[in-house]
Amino acid sequence: MKTITADFEYFSAATAGEALDLLAQHKDDDYRIIAGGQSLNTFMKHGLLKPEIIIDIKGASDLDYIKYDDKEGLKIGALTTHRKLEQSPVVAEKYAALVDMEVNVASVETRNWGTVVGDIVNADPAADPAPPLIALDASVVVASKEGTRSVPAEEFAVDLYTSAVEPGELVTEIQIPALPANTGFYFTKYSQLHGDYALASAAVLLTLDAKKEKCVNARIGLGGVGATPIRATAAEDILKGKKITDELLAEAAQAASEATEPISGIEASAEYKKELAGTLVKRVAKEALARAQKA
Amino acid sequence: MKKQLNIVVNGEPRELYVEPKTLLLQVIREHLGLKGTRPACDSSSCAACTVIVDGMAVKSCSILALQVNGKEVTTIEGLAEESQLHPIQKAFVDNWAFQCGYCTSGQIMATKAFLDENPDPTRVQIQEALDGHLCRCTAYNMIIEAVQDAAKRLQARKAEKGAA
Amino acid sequence: MAKEKLKEYAIIGKPTPNVDGPAKVTGEAQYTIDMTLPNMLYGKLARSPYPHAKIISIDTSAAEALPGVKAVITGKDTPGGKYGLWRRFRELSDQECLATDKVRFIGDPVAAVAAVTEEIAIQAVELIEVEYEPLPAVFDPDDAIEDDAPMVHEDFPSNINATRHIEWGDVDKGFAEADYVREDDYVTQPIHPAALEVHNSLASYDKGTGRLTVWSSTQSPYFLQLGLSDALKMREGDIRVIKPHVGSGFGGKNSTMPDSVNAALLSIKTGRPVKIVYNRDEEFQTTEHRTAQHMRIKLGLKKDGQIVAMEVKTIVNGGAFTGLGATDLYLTGTFITMPYKIPNYRYDGVRTYTNTVWGTSIRGFGSVPGKFCAETQLERAAKDLGVDPLQIRKMNAVYPGYEAPGQYTFESCGLLPCIEKMETRVKEKWPKLEEDEGIGFAAFAYMSGGIFNWIDTPYAFSSAHVKVNIDGMVDLYTQASDIGQGHNTVAAMICAEELGVGIEDIRLHLGDTAHTYTDLGAWGSREVLMNGNAIKDAAAQVKNKLIEVARLKLGENIAYDLVSKNKRVYLELRPERGISYYDLVQDAIRANDGVPITGVGHYTPHNKGMISPAYGTGIMAVKAKTDKETGAVVCQDILVVHDCGQVINPLGVRGQVEGSIHMGLGYALCEEMPMDEGNVLNPSFVDYKILRTRDMPEIEFIEVPTYEPNGPFGAKEAAEATIAPTAPALANAVFQNTGAEFVAPVLKPETVLKAIRAAAAKKQGK
Repeated sequence: MKTITADFEYFSAATAGEALDLLAQHKDDDYRIIAGGQSLNTFMKHGLLKPEIIIDIKGASDLDYIKYDDKEGLKIGALTTHRKLEQSPVVAEKYAALVDMEVNVASVETRNWGTVVGDIVNADPAADPAPPLIALDASVVVASKEGTRSVPAEEFAVDLYTSAVEPGELVTEIQIPALPANTGFYFTKYSQLHGDYALASAAVLLTLDAKKEKCVNARIGLGGVGATPIRATAAEDILKGKKITDELLAEAAQAASEATEPISGIEASAEYKKELAGTLVKRVAKEALARAQKA
Repeated sequence: MKKQLNIVVNGEPRELYVEPKTLLLQVIREHLGLKGTRPACDSSSCAACTVIVDGMAVKSCSILALQVNGKEVTTIEGLAEESQLHPIQKAFVDNWAFQCGYCTSGQIMATKAFLDENPDPTRVQIQEALDGHLCRCTAYNMIIEAVQDAAKRLQARKAEKGAA
Repeated sequence: MAKEKLKEYAIIGKPTPNVDGPAKVTGEAQYTIDMTLPNMLYGKLARSPYPHAKIISIDTSAAEALPGVKAVITGKDTPGGKYGLWRRFRELSDQECLATDKVRFIGDPVAAVAAVTEEIAIQAVELIEVEYEPLPAVFDPDDAIEDDAPMVHEDFPSNINATRHIEWGDVDKGFAEADYVREDDYVTQPIHPAALEVHNSLASYDKGTGRLTVWSSTQSPYFLQLGLSDALKMREGDIRVIKPHVGSGFGGKNSTMPDSVNAALLSIKTGRPVKIVYNRDEEFQTTEHRTAQHMRIKLGLKKDGQIVAMEVKTIVNGGAFTGLGATDLYLTGTFITMPYKIPNYRYDGVRTYTNTVWGTSIRGFGSVPGKFCAETQLERAAKDLGVDPLQIRKMNAVYPGYEAPGQYTFESCGLLPCIEKMETRVKEKWPKLEEDEGIGFAAFAYMSGGIFNWIDTPYAFSSAHVKVNIDGMVDLYTQASDIGQGHNTVAAMICAEELGVGIEDIRLHLGDTAHTYTDLGAWGSREVLMNGNAIKDAAAQVKNKLIEVARLKLGENIAYDLVSKNKRVYLELRPERGISYYDLVQDAIRANDGVPITGVGHYTPHNKGMISPAYGTGIMAVKAKTDKETGAVVCQDILVVHDCGQVINPLGVRGQVEGSIHMGLGYALCEEMPMDEGNVLNPSFVDYKILRTRDMPEIEFIEVPTYEPNGPFGAKEAAEATIAPTAPALANAVFQNTGAEFVAPVLKPETVLKAIRAAAAKKQGK
């Protein structure tokens, strides 16, 4: 059985304010923030990370919330676990595809302890939350003692396992705008087994005009097919301003596929993943369209 | 440097001093000697080590022990009611829901947390709830049947208590 | 007729909850991994990072200087004994305690450390400095047999570890008479048994007596006792092996492994108990797996589908050592013919040494890769000939009394009734298919324990000791292994049935070499038939002694048959005349000078061919849907009809059928061990994919009863047979739906997509 063998200094914060104080103090140290630690602990067990300091924010209960109003949309506090998002009635009502996403994130046990924010800060490109957040035009609120800034979801992961969070900073919240009328949103990942990281995943948000004929807005997020999650803007542009047909979807899917830069792995080659991303976009967009038409 | 850890394990308050790097699983197995919770994967991907913390099923191998400070932990050893097996345990025995038994503690603890939350689940809900639990022996179907059986037993017990 | 012997029993055939159930559901069941002893040390192994390298020097001084380290050993500190399961041919006992001159695979242990904590032992391992001179290495079995290939074992004439030739009939004549001949090539992937409890052992050496006790997660305490005896050059009797509960084995825990050997060496050196527990990545990188095979099959048939000739050539990537690989090679050559009448047959198998971790006897051993190849080939042949897939299996099916010349004989055999049942059930179950769905079939047969004696034991293959005490409590002593399959329950049931008592009257003492008579352990579905026969024999001896006393006591005409059933001994034709078992036991023991009534039973198969005394058979159907855009295959439903003799415990049989199919379906969909120059690329449960709850379909299991004359109460192999047909049945379902053909069992989406496109291109080309 592997355990964490490297020692670290441990500090815990009971509030977001305490966390920011600790971060300011240790800004220049070799530290890691732990919330659920569902990835971090495994990395430490395998000796892949050996931080000298752990700052534990799991107890900062003021960051544990899900709020929604029609004007500001959804706000997900940094300590919201995957499971709470999955079980939130307002999320089910307003962003049903996020619940579908959550059901396939790892296992109930991981979702009970791991946080959504922790998952995006971990910045595994094959993780589930980022593509839907990109499609939903979400932003990530990053705080420090100096103040706060907001990072668009598609800019949040900057490289493999690297997020936009700088030393001394803490993600406090994810903000998702309220969906406009006539909007459909859907997400699918393809993994060989349920709950695994994606071979490829796609999230699509489509907004139709008042007559539900033309697409007025499209946003597409892709996962597992590059060093970071990808926003497929060229594919979005193909759909915008047009009536969505199967032919147009195929064209957008092709553009989305071309936007990917997957790497070959044990399960599948880069070529396969590239093609798979296109297939997923086509299918997910079709479902998003159906939802928009019903919305 | 060791830090103080106060937890309630299977109803008993415990005061321990642990290195911050100590995992909850190590506290349970090594410090408290409760060997029914077992490690298997090293990668947070089998759920054999599942215990219940404040009502939630969690992987004890993937949580720093200090993170459960002040919380209630229930392990497989805390499930049976005095000399009686818990209805979930009885259902697992009667339905041959294990073979080697190595993953069974985790399966049962997850079932406990799940049935507390959803006393009358469908097959699909059971599959979703137990999906993280790797079992190399059973192919899961007999576990699912045991969970369905356990749900019935718990409901019957509740009805009995209600009537009494 | 054999069928008449199937009858109702008091205990046999009744669903019986696991006797280990309460211990397993309360967490109280103790596995080796749960054990500690006072003053115990923790051991760790230093392992080679190279697949093949000369050991120039090992510097252990820094490790020894680390506070808390109590011992560091290298190859020169070992007694130099070599060990392996193929003890009959000593050159195949090819494992060293620790590598001395060179390492042969990534993970080959070169040193071992004992320390007061596991963490210190890990640190100490990191401080051991080994100077290696990397040698050219060989990873591919075809490369390994080239003349200029690097030699894995210099004391062997070549990298050929074992060869097997099997032949009957006139193969060339058979092919000449065939209307249709096809040849197909396959490359099957290795998979890992992936038992949830890792390999681990606790050894305790008694300085006073010079005796060693080892607790280990093993499938066979006897094999481990012999392996340790060879490795440590100690007398068998000075080594006591105890098997606590085992977190399953699936074939991966038959061999003696470095955890046991080095825990023992370190305990001998320190005089303190030492425990070695593998990590999961050590488990994947360094413990035994199901070997990859490169197989070519030539099949000749008549127009109507009748098989007239078959020729099989295979080359196996054996890895660094023998394990049970040589047996696997032989069984591959025989099981691939089953369960079909093949009048003319030729097999040539070669097992090569390579610089990878080695392969062995994983669940369904000898049958799984070969059956994938043979059953998918038969499906293609049937399609070409326009013969129905069930019909072709039916017309070639073996029958009771069928003999493959010089190799094997099916005494009981319910294969034809199984196929007939399948014909009707499959139509009821799946009357209509969607456009993306297909049904595939595969027939199967498997042994009820092996006849072979590669371990070179002079003892009976199984033996048991039954003792009845004054209060009626029955002590059953045998070395047989329950590793999760439920044998403890079966053993108690067989003993109780034969004696006519209840399960609650049986107290089990299993798996301790010091206190039990020998049994070869849990592998090849041997325990029910072999240990069952031994237990039944022992219990019958006790029963006969009790009945003798009852006859005297009842003063009845001895022509009447007395039976022992439901805790009474009575006249079969006049059940009211009898005596309580408990009263009888008191009288019998008093009459026996106060000595408990005992019996020692045994079983060794004689004159039962080359493989096994009995075979379970049957047929499986899989319904699957294929996404033709992504290549994703979903196994929707499984139906299996199985002739498994008299079922002892229906709960256990169903559990084993389900489990075998789960492992077979993993082989079919996602399990593989890709290696890069001997390095296993997916050594974790994140990357090594095992099907989870949501990935498993429901399984309908229909049992077709037969009576097996060689088995206890007519029992024989059950369930292990069902692993092998799973992958070919799935591949055949995809083939029926899409025309896609596969060279390897693992139907990953990309593989499937490519195969679908290749099939479409081929069709267009025609």
